Amino acid sequence: MAAPIGNVVIPGDSFSLMQLKTPDEHKKILLGPGLKEEDTEIKVLRPGILRYRKPGVYWVDCHHKRYVPSKGDSVVGIVNQKVGDMFRVDIGSSEQASLSYLSFEGATKRNRPDVKVGDIVYAKLLVANKDMEPEIVCIDSYGRSSGMGVVRNGGFLFHTSLNLARKLLNPQCVLLKSLGNRFQFEISVGVNGRVWVKAGNDIQTIALVNTVIASEFKDNDQIKEMCKRISKAVSRMEVD
Amino acid sequence: MASFTVVKKEDLDAELEKGPKCVLRGQTSDLGCLTRQDGSVSLSQGDTTSIAVVYGPAEVRINKEKIDRATVEVIYRPKIGLPRPNHRKQERIMRNTLEAAIAANLHPRSSISVVIQETEDLGSNLSCSINSACLALLDAAVSMNFMVASVTVAIKENSDMILDPTKRDETEAKSVLTYVFDSVNYQILTIVSCGKFSRSEHKKGLTLAREAAKSVFQFYRESMSKKLLMSE
Amino acid sequence: MAEQFKMAQPKEYFKKFLENDIRPDNRELGEFRPTVLNIGCVSTAEGSALVKLGNTTVMCGVKAEVAQPDADKPKDGFLVPNVELSALCSPSFRPGPPGEQAQVLSQNMADLLQTSKCINLEDLCICPGKLVWVLHIDLVCLDYDGNVMDACTLALISALKNTSLPAVTVDEDTGDIKTDPTSLSNLPVSCCPVSTSFIIFDHNVLLVDPTNEEERLATGAVTVVVEGENLVSIYKPGGSALTDDQIETCIDRAVERSREASKLIKETLYSIDR
Repeated sequence: MAAPIGNVVIPGDSFSLMQLKTPDEHKKILLGPGLKEEDTEIKVLRPGILRYRKPGVYWVDCHHKRYVPSKGDSVVGIVNQKVGDMFRVDIGSSEQASLSYLSFEGATKRNRPDVKVGDIVYAKLLVANKDMEPEIVCIDSYGRSSGMGVVRNGGFLFHTSLNLARKLLNPQCVLLKSLGNRFQFEISVGVNGRVWVKAGNDIQTIALVNTVIASEFKDNDQIKEMCKRISKAVSRMEVD
Repeated sequence: MASFTVVKKEDLDAELEKGPKCVLRGQTSDLGCLTRQDGSVSLSQGDTTSIAVVYGPAEVRINKEKIDRATVEVIYRPKIGLPRPNHRKQERIMRNTLEAAIAANLHPRSSISVVIQETEDLGSNLSCSINSACLALLDAAVSMNFMVASVTVAIKENSDMILDPTKRDETEAKSVLTYVFDSVNYQILTIVSCGKFSRSEHKKGLTLAREAAKSVFQFYRESMSKKLLMSE
Repeated sequence: MAEQFKMAQPKEYFKKFLENDIRPDNRELGEFRPTVLNIGCVSTAEGSALVKLGNTTVMCGVKAEVAQPDADKPKDGFLVPNVELSALCSPSFRPGPPGEQAQVLSQNMADLLQTSKCINLEDLCICPGKLVWVLHIDLVCLDYDGNVMDACTLALISALKNTSLPAVTVDEDTGDIKTDPTSLSNLPVSCCPVSTSFIIFDHNVLLVDPTNEEERLATGAVTVVVEGENLVSIYKPGGSALTDDQIETCIDRAVERSREASKLIKETLYSIDR
């Protein structure tokens, strides 16, 4: 019997290594979130849908609201506190992440970045370990910002489930594309379920936020249909 | 949402006439019934209903911090009045039970708190609370080693067993036993009893409850499948 | 060297002993610590007992008061057990309001009295609807070295068996209450529930009558209360999962312990009567 890929698994389920190996005999197996190796068995820790990707990656796709940091994730956070050379940033995890003032593009000891308490930052996780405080940076390994940094000039921040955030970032999702065809707006989506949007006016912002939240359980066709309706409604309201 | 259920005396009498009951009452769940929490569920077993919510892994108070695992907290709120010592005992039973199920070592220095609000107690309340807590943990996708299912058995004076008793069954029974099983080997995690009983009655109750627990696990799986496949 | 090993790796240290089926205090796995029972040691109380289980010491005093009964149960008296784990008995308790453990223990005692029905509440009636006895059963832990549950149960039952209440007369006209301390009558205690506690070490080894050190290492606990051959309660609040057979072993041991304990109570009571 092969592992139940694409099916619902719940904690306590387990399958042997042999069951997992079927797709690619020789390759190493990589276990993603929600799976644990115990003796010769693979145990499921979280309820979700078992997924597989070549060449041997298995993980459980589950519905989350609480963010647990993992390395390399792009997140949207709120600067909460300034402690010495560090900023404490709330990224929705169990502990606040630290952000050094040097990890911004062009920042030096002399030339400090302009970051204040209450600012929103778009950053990447550099350290994410269950035993350590998470650390985020706003530069890539070449020292360039590559889109990260403090998010300025107003806009609106709202929370979604982690699944929705991942769905928005999925290249196959048409939501942002079809919204972009109809409105002009800026958006930053963090995989921690925080989304910042800025549109031309308040009506558009509210419409965008509601569209994003409503798209959680819709497929691409439904999303396209919804976007069409929303843009009509918004243009009507703007005329009034 | 209607939070009160009116139970007519005729209905209770009609139910009594059905004789000894060896099946669980109907279970319904509403996963994600509240929006602000990480996991929430409203579970009803027959007419007994409770709401459970989960926060976590979240920030932990410094004096409760454990460096090698998550702190599990359980708060039980009765329907009427403030929590009393018997509720503290219930909280402790539930906390110890859930601690065994949660893979707490994966989230050190954080807290996983479960809040259970009793909304209607018409028998087998402890079972309903434990089951709702487990479903809420599943809804929040907290890492768990296994799931837990609780079943209550009432023993009548003539040694008849009633599975998942109503309030009336409980008051008429000579003893009420609540069992909790794990979902892997169906071993005993928790036993709580009230009233005297013999060893053979305990054995019989245990077998009965274990069979019933399997159907509770099936119910968990169905509930989770329904929720997870919704977005597919 | 042993001391350092114990400090650094208490669990491994313990396992070394268990490999030889013995515990660090030279007991077998199913062996209780020596139990010392002293009944009637507090002369100012209506009934009292002092229990020592190894180092664990619990003192129990029963104080009687008169009160009005509840309107719906005009003949029933009241039993109010209270367990106190003060800062005196162990450094792990802080002064102040009772902690969770003390509250749960008090509740366990109340449940035990209720389910075992060892005292018929109607025996506490003086004048139906007007006057009943309230027995305040105070259990104070003096030295906390594990297994307070068993010590408390033993102290509670012994103290109740030792309790004698004075005759009360009520003056019909004035409503004055008079007690006659010379004519004491013993409180009838119909049965003798005995509790036996176990801890689960390393998910599968059962140890009876744990010390404080053992309780800290435990991955679970079971308490079985028996009365003769009948079970009064099985209390296993979570922790490691056990098989049916392991539970059966616990019950077997509890029945055996109940025999020993009842004998001890009987003998002690007999010796003070003489």
